[in-house]
Amino acid sequence: MPSICFYFQVHQPYRLKEYSYFDIGSDHQYFDDLKNLEVLKKVSEKCYLPTNKLMLELIKEHKGKFKISYSISGIALEQFEAWQPDVLQSFKDLAATGCVEFIAETYYHSLAYIFSKEEFKKQVEQHRNLIKKHFNQEPKVFRNTELQYNNELAKFIEDLGYDAIICEGVDRLLNGRSPNFIYKAPNAHKIKSLLKNYKLSDDIAFRFSDQNWSEFPLSAETYATWVHSVAGMGETINLFMDYETFGEHQWEHSGIFEFLRYMPTYVLAHKDFSFKTVSETAAAYPVRDVYDAHHLTSWADTERDLSAWLGNPMQDEAIAKIYQLEQQVYASGDVTFIDSWKKMLTSDHFYYMCTKYWADGDVHKYFSPYDSPYDAYIYFMNAMSDLSIQLKSIEKPLNKGVGKETAPKKTVVKAVPAKKVAGKKAVAKSK
Amino acid sequence: MVKRKKVLMFGWEFPPEISGGLGVATFGLCQALAHDADVKMIIPKNVPNFKIENIELVGLNSIKPEDIEVLFGTEPTPKIPILPSSFKQTIGPYSSVLASEFLDQTYYEYYNAAIQPFEIEELYGGDVISKVIEFEKIAVAYCVKDDFDILHAHDWLTFLPAMRLKMITGKPLVIHIHSTEFDRTGVESNNWVFELERRAMEMADCIIPVSNYTGDICVQKYGANPQKIKTVHNGIIPITHKVDAKRRKGNLVVYFGRVTQQKGPDYFVEAAKKVLDYLPDTKFVMAGAGDLLETMILKTASIGIGDKFYFTNFLNKDKLNELLSKADLYCMPSKSEPFGLSALEAAQFGIPVIISHTSGVAEVLPGAIKVDFDDVDKLAAYMIAALNFSGLRQAVVNADNTSLSQITWEKCAGEVMQVYESLFNATNNIC
Repeated sequence: MPSICFYFQVHQPYRLKEYSYFDIGSDHQYFDDLKNLEVLKKVSEKCYLPTNKLMLELIKEHKGKFKISYSISGIALEQFEAWQPDVLQSFKDLAATGCVEFIAETYYHSLAYIFSKEEFKKQVEQHRNLIKKHFNQEPKVFRNTELQYNNELAKFIEDLGYDAIICEGVDRLLNGRSPNFIYKAPNAHKIKSLLKNYKLSDDIAFRFSDQNWSEFPLSAETYATWVHSVAGMGETINLFMDYETFGEHQWEHSGIFEFLRYMPTYVLAHKDFSFKTVSETAAAYPVRDVYDAHHLTSWADTERDLSAWLGNPMQDEAIAKIYQLEQQVYASGDVTFIDSWKKMLTSDHFYYMCTKYWADGDVHKYFSPYDSPYDAYIYFMNAMSDLSIQLKSIEKPLNKGVGKETAPKKTVVKAVPAKKVAGKKAVAKSK
Repeated sequence: MVKRKKVLMFGWEFPPEISGGLGVATFGLCQALAHDADVKMIIPKNVPNFKIENIELVGLNSIKPEDIEVLFGTEPTPKIPILPSSFKQTIGPYSSVLASEFLDQTYYEYYNAAIQPFEIEELYGGDVISKVIEFEKIAVAYCVKDDFDILHAHDWLTFLPAMRLKMITGKPLVIHIHSTEFDRTGVESNNWVFELERRAMEMADCIIPVSNYTGDICVQKYGANPQKIKTVHNGIIPITHKVDAKRRKGNLVVYFGRVTQQKGPDYFVEAAKKVLDYLPDTKFVMAGAGDLLETMILKTASIGIGDKFYFTNFLNKDKLNELLSKADLYCMPSKSEPFGLSALEAAQFGIPVIISHTSGVAEVLPGAIKVDFDDVDKLAAYMIAALNFSGLRQAVVNADNTSLSQITWEKCAGEVMQVYESLFNATNNIC
């Protein structure tokens, strides 16, 4: 009795503005509110609103038989709340159906697990609180940024009390085995690993509108037959993808919405098949084998590794230096500094710095708001320099040993400009 | 076995005197071509002991007065009088003057003056056009009885003899465009040199620009037939040793090349001023000669940064290498740069390079930092970032090293050979 497990990733970063070296010391607003608002509006119109509407219709139409899961980053939720409350409401409406599950992740969609376990735990907790607040759910399943995963992380997440963790089904680790079963890490006791079926996921997420693809155009009916062919050879088909697949990566005129509208009907036409949320999937099937991931893997690019975010000198320097500020940032006790710093931990900033594909970096370029990886790096470093200078300026009184409680706070008041971005308010509200 | 083709080539600056100049490019190409073809190179002046392996090098300065008499005492007869019909109207006795058809009156007398042994002191100084015309007269007389398969001329300085010999012999003519009058003088170029270039492009069987950027200029500014254009990017000879440089304190930013409006020295100075506001411990070197040199010296003095600038005038290769090995950054804000070999020479020293979008070298250095030549703020911001941030420096240098490994004169020669072959094939098909 195989089931389909849909999980959609919803995320929007706070893009940095073209922060020039000449702005350091005078401009403490690092983020491009205008651009972020514009992107959010565009993606809401093209994807979030119509897709959520369709999902709600499908859930109602199938009377509880169509179920889905979402992982929505904390900063995406913040931006919805501030700029696009109708999107947040539509997710709340979906949550109210009882057929939608929300997954835990890092609030800032960060690489914190690699660089600071402390910060990682804080962000997971912060995200958990936000999910509870908006959707009244306690996540039982965790997914790390961009499905970054290894054995150690699985254990770490198990210790945080989660039932399951989501990861890519990497060929070299599956070694001929099927991703359509529940696995576990060798060092884990009970946490289950849900592996992405990248073939069937990417048929929708990447190949759907590819006119050179032999299966183009893909119909819901054909797709359902592929899904059905798993019968007898698997228990769960994990279809994990960016939610922006619908209407943004695959444009409306590609027929993606029609595909989505009819696909559940065709899948459910086979009486053995059902849809399950992530925790239902984990609860329904036993662990069948060990999935042994020593090195971190991800769902990105063909390498399925971390090379989209780390590895070139710019990425390595930028990320190392931003995490070096952790102690100082928290020591400042200033919400503005903490908020800015955390927003700069978002993985997208390092993705924009990727130079892997100078020749054919189309995917990266498509997702980057900047002209070049150099620009992405320079704006980041400039903004970080300003943050660092601000932190130093309030540190001095501390070092002198003057009133540790009051002295920095006075300086902070001066350093924080009166008008604030919506994002900051959102943080304050969420606490 | 295919018979080796005989190439009659015309060059100007030999042996190469100026870094990144026409001579360097011609030298690199013909040295690599010698593996595949017999190259006879005609140049205005040769120096004793300058030889290139497998290349027959003829300096017109070495032709003695008695030989001149012999040369001009006999009426040369065309060996192959079959010419494409489009050129029929221009065929006449040798005494008819090709250049005079569009020659400035100033030079008309000169053109009809008695032939003297060729003497040339300064290749680029004084009355260059007179030298060019005299070069034609002697070169044609000297070569007309030669046995060759193809004519290949480098830049306007050498177009005349090659055009003349094509008219006499009907052999295919390849013109190599290293730079155009449009690049050198700007938009309002409509002079004798421009007209000569236009005529040469019209008459040539194939035009080889050193970049797509220059190819576009040939088409757009000169009306050249796009189908005759085959871009061949320059190569570079790998450096075998690095000068052991004594590092000094502070930053060193280098501009080298002719100090003319084409190269954008004023943008370099203006950007330097901005950089110095933030990084006062920076020195700038402007290495090169040119008509704007004095203006630049005055400009740096008048804006109060004269003490931060070094003007070296023209530097030979050894001195230049020493300079580059001390430098932290190279900038080439050229308004219009057909190729920009000097950027490759700088990149060879493992320093980051900033080049303008309007340069041919940008096509082969995808990892270089690129800027609009007149965007002084951006240029300054890039300079600061490249000096301040090691991640950026390393990323640019890594990317350029990868590119450099694929930029060779052998590759360039191979592409030129393909051009020759295509012309021979076309000719054979006609016969």
